Parts: sequence; C-alpha cells; structure tokens
Amino acid sequence: MISVYVLPVLLILLLVYCVIRRVKVYDCFLLGAKEGLSLAGRVFPYIAAIFICIEAFKASGIAFAVAEFLKKPLSFLGVPSEIAELILLVPLSGNGTIALLEDIIAECGVDSYPARCAAVIAGASETVFYIAAVYFSKCKSKKLSYAIPVSLVCTFLGALAACALVKLM
Amino acid sequence: MNVAFTVLLFASLAALVVKAPAMAFSTLIDGASAAIVLAVKLLAIYAVWLSVLKMLEQSGLDKKFSRLVSPVVRRLFKGESDDAYNYISINLASNMLGMGGAATLAGINAMQKMETSSTTDNMRLLVVINATSIQLIPATVIAIRAAAGSKNAADIFLPTLLSTAVSTLSGIVICKLIAFFKNKKHARNATLTPTFDKIKPLF
Repeated sequence: MISVYVLPVLLILLLVYCVIRRVKVYDCFLLGAKEGLSLAGRVFPYIAAIFICIEAFKASGIAFAVAEFLKKPLSFLGVPSEIAELILLVPLSGNGTIALLEDIIAECGVDSYPARCAAVIAGASETVFYIAAVYFSKCKSKKLSYAIPVSLVCTFLGALAACALVKLM
Repeated sequence: MNVAFTVLLFASLAALVVKAPAMAFSTLIDGASAAIVLAVKLLAIYAVWLSVLKMLEQSGLDKKFSRLVSPVVRRLFKGESDDAYNYISINLASNMLGMGGAATLAGINAMQKMETSSTTDNMRLLVVINATSIQLIPATVIAIRAAAGSKNAADIFLPTLLSTAVSTLSGIVICKLIAFFKNKKHARNATLTPTFDKIKPLF
C-alpha cells in the first residue's frame, strides 16, 4: 500500500524544507504542544456534552429501536437492513462507527454486500455533530443554524449513493 | 443545538428509567469518561499536528500552498481575508490527505478568522464541507478490511471516493442555494425598509 508512505514522507520533506528555510523546528514543537493543551481544554466541554448524550442514547435502546423502525423504508432506498443502525450512528460517533463496522464484517463476512456498503459508508463520512461543535468552539457566535441539518442530509445522500455504487462496482 | 440536545437526552433518560433505572446515572458518567479518553487522545494528536502546522506557517509553505489552491477556495468562500484563505486551504488539503488532526486545527483557525470578516454563511459552508468528509484514501477502513481477511481490501476505494463526492458536492450546492436565497430576501427587505420607514409615523 502506497498510502502508508504518504504521511511520513510528507513529514520528512517538510522537515528538510524547514532546515533549508532555517525554521527553528524544536521551538515549533514546543509551541505546538502548548497550544494543543489549551485547545484540548477548550474543546473538552463540547466533547463531554455530546458523549454523555450519545452514551445515554445508545444505552437507552432508542438507537436500536429507531434503526429497527427505519429498516423497511431504508431497504426501499436500496440500503441493506444490516446497516440501518450504522447509518444512524455515523454522524454521532466515530469510534462507535468503527466498532459497528467490525461487528457487521464479523457477522456478514468481509466481502459480502452489506459489509462492503458499511465499509464505504464508514470511510466516506464524518462525525457531523463532533465537527460542528469543535469548529465553532473558538468562535464567539455559536450560530450553527443550517450547518448540522445540511450536513446530515448530505451524509445520508452519500450513504444512499454508497449502497448503489457498491452494487454497481 | 440546545433543543436537539435536550430532546435527545430527555428521550434517552426516559427510556432508561423504564428499562434500567439503576443504570441511568452511571451511563452519563460512562459517557463523560469516554469523552476524557478521547480528549487525552486529541491532546496528543493536537500536540503533534499543531507542531507540524507551526512548521508549515514559519517556513512559509502554507502561503505557497494557499496560492496553489486559491482559485477554488476564493470562489467558494467569497470575501474572506488572506489569513482565512490560508487556513481554509490547509484545512481542505490535509483533509484530502487524511490528516484529520491538522485539518481540524486549521479549520478552527479558519473559523476564527472568518468570524471577524464575513457573513456566517461561509463558516457554515466550511463546517458542511468538513462534516461530509473529503478524504481521498480511507486508510482506517482499508486496514480493517485487510485485517478481516478481505480478498481485495482496497477495492472500496472508488465507491468511497464517489460517495464522498456526492455528499460534499450536494452539501456545497445546498449551502450556496440557502445563502443565495437568504441574500435575495435580504436585498428585498433592504429595498422595502426605507419605504416602510417613511410610512411608519402613520401607524
């Protein structure tokens, strides 16, 4: 896989370029870690609030019930019923998505249609709520307005496209 | 956000009280613990990626890079400052390369720069683009498939790319449409208000 080399090689090139331009690399890392500390502190409240809510949502069984309820209409749109819960979880939790993807792979087999759909959806989506919260964390106005609904609708469109594309390819 | 949060939490807690009342409170604490685990991990990621970003800034590479992609960025995000364009460029590029940490940081900085200069529509557009994922190589998922013994772990590459293209492009189109109709309404209101001001004393 070439993709394994992309990141480290880019980093080495950057280091070489920094040496040529006489950038103080050590100072960069000190500054980076320092700012990282304050940023992590500033982002934490948003993560904590969302995680508390998601944990309750998952444990309450509502996530499962909603997924059960959505299976019929979703299969109408070409989404296999095995991945209804994944579609629900994708915008909420990145780790949850990966865990569920592994479940689906274990259950249906790696190269089965549902597992391939799940892999594409997991690879082609982001945790919408986390991104929205973190991106606005440093701004004074928290006017997200249509940002989250639009992201959710488009993520869903992408998931529908994913299921159709996997069938074709 | 406040409404969605309250509704979701209320519904979850109500269901938990019916299902397993003893678990209700500890579930919330489990959630917070998971947040702490993630925050510590993020701190590590930030420390590394912010350092890389600092190197990019101080070597002047970010400006060069920005110039390279600026035609697209400038057209998408009209009326921003050069600083904002720099950060947006880094954000989009590192996203595509799968450097999520650098992308988030540049994104947060871009949001801050945009807040001072522009309409909020551009900020929402940036969030939508990021939230719909524009990664070129789904490295994590390919690794999981390979570990599970797939015959061809990387063959989801093309469908994934097309799927993100669908979600991101539709996101951009919807955002632009919303902004367009909002501005139109604004312009109409602006032309209406003077006349209204004139007749206001009559009421």
